[in-house]
Amino acid sequence: MVIIELIDVKKFYPLGNVQVEAVRGVRISIKKGDFISIAGPSGSGKTTILNMIGCIDTPSAGTVRINGSSTSDLSDKELTTLRHRTIGFIFQLFNLIPVLNVYENIEFPLLLGKEKMDKKEKKEWIDSLIEEVGLKEWRNHRPNELSGGQRQRVAIARALATKPQIVLADEPTANLDSETGTAIIRLMKKINQEQRTTFVFSTHDPDIVEIADHIIRLHDGLVVSEDIVLEERSG
Amino acid sequence: MNNVRIAFRNLNRQKKRSFLLGGAIAFGIMIIIILNAFTAGFIVNVRENFSLYLAGHIFLTGMEETESGRVINVIRDDTVLKDTLKRLGIKVKYLVKRSIFTGTLIFEGEYVLQKIDGINLKKEEGLKDRLILKEGSFNALASDPEALIISENVVNQLQAVLGDTILVKLTTATGQQNVGEFELAAISIDPGVMGFSAGYANLEYVNELLNIGQDKCTLLSIFLKDFESIDSEADRFYSALSQKVNMFDRTSDKEGFESLRGVSMQGEWKGMKYQLLTINDLLSRADQLAGIVNIIGLVVLLILLSIVMVGITNTFRMIIYERIREIGTMRALGMQRNGVRGIFLYEALFLSLGGAAMGFIIALIIMVCASIINFGMGPLFFMLKNGHLFFKIIPAQVILHFALVAVLTLTAVFFPARKAARLDPAHALRTHY
Ligand SMILES: Nc1ncnc2c1ncn2[C@@H]1O[C@H](COP(=O)(O)OP(=O)(O)OP(=O)(O)O)[C@@H](O)[C@H]1O
Ligand SMILES: [Mg+2]
Repeated sequence: MVIIELIDVKKFYPLGNVQVEAVRGVRISIKKGDFISIAGPSGSGKTTILNMIGCIDTPSAGTVRINGSSTSDLSDKELTTLRHRTIGFIFQLFNLIPVLNVYENIEFPLLLGKEKMDKKEKKEWIDSLIEEVGLKEWRNHRPNELSGGQRQRVAIARALATKPQIVLADEPTANLDSETGTAIIRLMKKINQEQRTTFVFSTHDPDIVEIADHIIRLHDGLVVSEDIVLEERSG
Repeated sequence: MNNVRIAFRNLNRQKKRSFLLGGAIAFGIMIIIILNAFTAGFIVNVRENFSLYLAGHIFLTGMEETESGRVINVIRDDTVLKDTLKRLGIKVKYLVKRSIFTGTLIFEGEYVLQKIDGINLKKEEGLKDRLILKEGSFNALASDPEALIISENVVNQLQAVLGDTILVKLTTATGQQNVGEFELAAISIDPGVMGFSAGYANLEYVNELLNIGQDKCTLLSIFLKDFESIDSEADRFYSALSQKVNMFDRTSDKEGFESLRGVSMQGEWKGMKYQLLTINDLLSRADQLAGIVNIIGLVVLLILLSIVMVGITNTFRMIIYERIREIGTMRALGMQRNGVRGIFLYEALFLSLGGAAMGFIIALIIMVCASIINFGMGPLFFMLKNGHLFFKIIPAQVILHFALVAVLTLTAVFFPARKAARLDPAHALRTHY
C-alpha cells in the first residue's frame, strides 16, 4: 500500500530575479512500513523533498499525496493538523525545545491538537518511549545536559510520541560521529521493524545509506536511480 | 498549559534581559502607585484633620432674618434638624453644637485677630486626640467657664502666660460691639489647617458673648459613622430638610473653603433659613488638586511605558530571530499559528505582570519606610496623619494600572508575535543563527 506519492513534483524558489529549481520533476512512491533513504550531494534537493512530504512545504508543480490525498489545496491549518496526526520529524540539529526536559520534550507533540490522552496512559507511554531509546536516567535533564547522540534519541522518541504513520529524518546523523550515527539509524530500523512505521531519512553518508531497505538517489533536483533490486527482493 | 509553561521558562532564558524589561515596567508602576497612594492618603488626611477641626462631616448653619431686617447667624431651634436626621436613619457618630466668632484678643497692649470656637468638650472627645496641649489641661475648660485654649504662636504674640486674663473684643450676633474676658487655661501645639488655627472656649460663654441664648449655636456639625457615605447622606438630608424648612441652594458659586465664610444670601425669606455644607464641598479644591496630580502621574506613566514598549517590541523582534528554528520545529511538530503567537503573548503577559508585581512590592516597601518618618507639627501637619505620611492604596486603581501595563505590553508584543506565527515553517527551519 502506497502511503507517500510524489507525481512530477517541481519546486522553484525565487532568488532575486531568477528562479532556483530545487526539485525539477520527481516521481516517487513509498510503501507503508518502508525504511527508505534519500541520498545525494549537498544542494541536490533532499531537504526540499522531505519538507514537501512532511507538509512543511507544498510543491510549485505536480502533486504530493499522503495517504492518497493531495497536500496542495490544504490551508496552513489543515497542513499543520495533517503533520501532527501523520508525521514525526527528526532533525539534523536535533531541534529539541531547550526549556523542556527530556520527558517534556517527548510530551510536547502530545499536548498539541485536540485529542487528549488520559494522564496516566500518557505518562506510561512516554516512559516506555524513554526506555525504548535508552534514556531512563536522563528523564529529567534538559537538552543542554545531553550529548548529541542522546539528543537525537530524545528526538526519535519525540517523533514517535503521536504514533505517526511516517517519520521523516533530514540528515539525522550529520552532526554525530559515525559510530553514534550508525547506532541512531539502527534504532530507527528497529522501531521500523517493530511498529511498521514508515521511515524516510536523508543522508550523504554512504555507510548509513546501506542500512536502508530502499535508496532514492538525487542529483540536481532529479532522481538518478531508485534501488529497485532491494524493493523486488523485499517484495 | 504547554504554552504557558514554555512561555514562563522562556523568560528565564535571558535573565538579565527579562530583568531589565521587567524592571522598567516595575519602575513605572512603582512611581504611579506611590503617587496615587500619596494623593489618596493626602485626601483622607486633609478630610480627617478638617473633620476634627470642624467637628464633623456635614455642617448646618442658620440665618435668621429679624423684623428689623437684620440677618443673624444662629441656629435657634435644632429639633427639626435632629428629628429629620433620626427619621432618615442617618448613622451619626456624634452631633456637635459650636458657636464660632472671630474677635480680637487683647493682652497688655498686644492684640491678635483670632477665630474662637465655643465648644462642649464633653461631646467632642475627638478633639482631645487632635489637639495636643503644651501647657495646661482640658479639664480647665470644664471647671472654668471662662477658660480659653489658644495655640502657642498666638500666646507668644500676646506674650501671655497660663492664668492670665485676656480681653476679647467682638461683634454680637445682633451687631453690637461687646467685650469679654477669658482666662488662658491651656496652650496648644496647633499647627492649624491651612493657616487657620482655632482657639477654643466654652460654648455657653461664647453664646453669652454673642448674645444668642444659652442652648443656641451658630454651627451644627454632624460626624458620620461612615466616611464614604458623606455625599449621599448629605443629599438625602438636604432634600428631606427642604420639605420642612427654608434652605439655601446647595450649589454655591463660591468654591471650597470660602463657602463656609458666608452664603450667598440672595432672595427674600422670613425667619430661619439654613445652609448645608459637607466636608467634601469644602475640600473640593484638595480633591481637584489630587485629581490633577494623579492625571500628571498617569501621563508620566504612559510616556514612560511607551518608551519601555518600544524597547519591548524591539527585544521581541530580536527574540523571534534567536528562536526561529525553535518556532519552525514547533510548527513542524503540529503547533498551529495561534499556539506560537500564544507563547509570545504569554511571555509578554508574565513579563508585564511580573514587572508590575515587582514594582508594587517595591512601592509598598518605600511607602512603609516613608511612613515611619515623623515630620512633627510643621505647617504640613494638616496633610499628614499625626505627623506621618499616610499612603492609601486604592485596589481598583492598582488593578487598573496592572491591566494598563498588561494591555500595553501585549500590544507591544502583538506584532512581533504575529510575525512569528506567520513564519513559513520551512523557511524557519532552514534559518540558522
Ligand atoms: N528558500 C530557498 N530559497 C532559495 N533557494 C533555496 C531555498 N531552499 C533551498 N534552496 C536551493 O534549493 C536547492 C536544494 O536545496 P536543499 O536544501 O533541498 O538541498 P539538500 O540536498 O538538502 O542540501 P544539503 O545537503 O546541503 O542540505 C539548493 O540549491 C538550495 O540552494
Ligand atoms: Mg538539506
